[in-house]
Amino acid sequence: MELTLRALGVLAALGLAALLTHFFEPAALSDAQERGPAAPAGPRAPAELASNPDRWMHPAGPVMALLGVLFALVVIPFGPDLVPSDLGIGVFYFIVVVDFVVLGLSLGGWGANTRNSVDVYYRATAQLVAYVVPLGLAYIGAIMMARSLSTVSIVEAQAGMWFIVLQPVGFALYLVTGLMQAYRPPFVEPFAAFIDHGVYGASFPWQALLWRLALSSLMFLIAAMGAVLYLGGWRGPLLPGPVWMLLKTFALMAVMVWGGSRAPLLTTGRMLELSWKVLTPVGLVNVLLVGALILLGVGPS
Amino acid sequence: MSFAEVAEWFAFAILAVISVAGALGMATTMSMFRSGIFLMASFIGVAGLFVLLSADLLGLLQVMMYIGGMLVMILFMVLFSHDPGGSMMAEMDMSLIERFFSLGLSSPPDEGMEHGDGMDMGGSGGHEGMEHEGMEHGDGMDMGGSGGHEGMDMGGMDMSMTTPVKRWAAALSLVLGGGLVALLLLRPAWPTTDATPSPESARMIGELLMSKYMMAFESAGLLILIGIFGAVLVARPGAYPDRDARDAYVTADLPPAPIEEGRPPSADAPVPPEALEEVTVNEAHRDKAGGPPSLNGPAGHAASQSAEGDN
Amino acid sequence: MAVPLTAYLIVGALLFGIGVYAVIAQRSAVMILMGIEVLLNAIGLNLIAFWRFVNPEDYSAQIFTILIVTIGAVEMGIGLGIMMLLYRNRGTVQVDQYDSLKG
Repeated sequence: MELTLRALGVLAALGLAALLTHFFEPAALSDAQERGPAAPAGPRAPAELASNPDRWMHPAGPVMALLGVLFALVVIPFGPDLVPSDLGIGVFYFIVVVDFVVLGLSLGGWGANTRNSVDVYYRATAQLVAYVVPLGLAYIGAIMMARSLSTVSIVEAQAGMWFIVLQPVGFALYLVTGLMQAYRPPFVEPFAAFIDHGVYGASFPWQALLWRLALSSLMFLIAAMGAVLYLGGWRGPLLPGPVWMLLKTFALMAVMVWGGSRAPLLTTGRMLELSWKVLTPVGLVNVLLVGALILLGVGPS
Repeated sequence: MSFAEVAEWFAFAILAVISVAGALGMATTMSMFRSGIFLMASFIGVAGLFVLLSADLLGLLQVMMYIGGMLVMILFMVLFSHDPGGSMMAEMDMSLIERFFSLGLSSPPDEGMEHGDGMDMGGSGGHEGMEHEGMEHGDGMDMGGSGGHEGMDMGGMDMSMTTPVKRWAAALSLVLGGGLVALLLLRPAWPTTDATPSPESARMIGELLMSKYMMAFESAGLLILIGIFGAVLVARPGAYPDRDARDAYVTADLPPAPIEEGRPPSADAPVPPEALEEVTVNEAHRDKAGGPPSLNGPAGHAASQSAEGDN
Repeated sequence: MAVPLTAYLIVGALLFGIGVYAVIAQRSAVMILMGIEVLLNAIGLNLIAFWRFVNPEDYSAQIFTILIVTIGAVEMGIGLGIMMLLYRNRGTVQVDQYDSLKG
């Protein structure tokens, strides 16, 4: 009974998050040249849809992506008691489960069996290789200071001071890799206009709806996790916890999307170069800095 | 049985079916992409079993390693395979299990293979148009033949995924699996305990990794580093774009030219005409002698400048 | 624990049999690598099942499984590198066409 209630709550939160993001994001994206997953893609002629799909994998793609974001939402805390499930290894679980979105993109892109959609699979996989190591390094700083993998404990550890103050380098790293993970500009290669907006171009209407739902909530999730890791989660004066959490999430989303849409677009090759030559060394330096801070006694005790 | 026990059996049954059926599908489906996805499903099923055995950290680790790893691996399969979508082989006669795991594959394009000549597959689709050099031999392909994919040889470009010893392999693995299961059933009892692991298993594993097994942990890190070096070293672009070009240079005794920048490595690009004449002579000789010496040449020393030039 | 140890071990045995089939019957080198991954996975499942039922206080089994997964990943990387090299040289990854030593 209680389990059902929680599941319904997660579903409702997912719908709300996707809806808010869907209307909020285009405002922040006002003058970007590529809009990535937020691009408007109108109805298409049936000839342009996938004409010869793999009958099992083409529908499985958006379902898999949606399952991924749904499972990821389980560990996001909106208040000290307002977390669907406080897993002991919550942050790690989040990283793992968000990978299902990449799996969904690959299944859907390959299964649609059009020239552009198969491209989505290649590009999404290359992007996964690009972001996965720096993303882990961006999480590790916060985990080291909080000495816990649980999202609730990480927020509790920021009672004195937000981690953004102590680890600005890690926060910047999180912004960049989060954009990469969410396929937002400037990392829109799998959703670029020249491959017909990726999976949108080869989806039936119900699939397109699920894709939008999944990708909008993906952006929300990544901003929310950023708020948990670096901005103190639900903590704040006066207003209740969930309101603070939503405020921080959308503020972070605005910063990410607005800043990203002003950066020059990057191809997949450039992305890999950026990841391995810049972001990974920066992440390692950040780990060293955080370790030094902990040894000096800064941060939560 | 209590509700918790029924739930546990139920979860176990689902996860066991996923992991075994996934592995079976990996070994039998006609589509290479699908077989990678099936393997991923199998891994995720085993990860679920890990969670059921209260090793949740390990289960998550497994999922994380294998989603990314399998996606990259499938990418390589698609690169190396002549029919990664399996749509051409899906037309052939398959055994029941293969047919089951190949259900719903995208069908081959209309001007497909049963019409003998032409083999013009490069038309519309994504998977079918992958790699169709070397397939332009028309008529001599008798697909509906009795041998199925076991005996199918498309003029040196054999596209089937299974070896001719398939039946023997199936028999052997059946005997092996059946024997193991029989052994397990005949020897039912290990001394098991009722103790439960502590819920803080992540912390315990971390402490163990950093104390007792520190050496193993660090050497695993070193192993991965060396693995990265090795893979990059082995796979880095060689001085010669492919075998024919290398044979041409070796035959004509010319110094190797680096691969030109911005140009896809192809056989015909950098070979001067006089070398090509030589190679036709040498081709005949080589066939008699039984194939070229292959493994020890090309990833050699001259590669570095072209490798750097690519970036 | 409602599910007995033998049930987990049977799943491991079945996976092992399928892995052996994949390694022997498959013709493409990538598929053979995948068969090896299934074998490693069956071993990991057995290790964890024994850990849980026989000695759950000692976490060494989980460490061994982590090491197995690591080695599997390294093996996959090196294997794919070698395969790229072979493909560049021979134009195929079908292992039964690597017959240049056959005379």
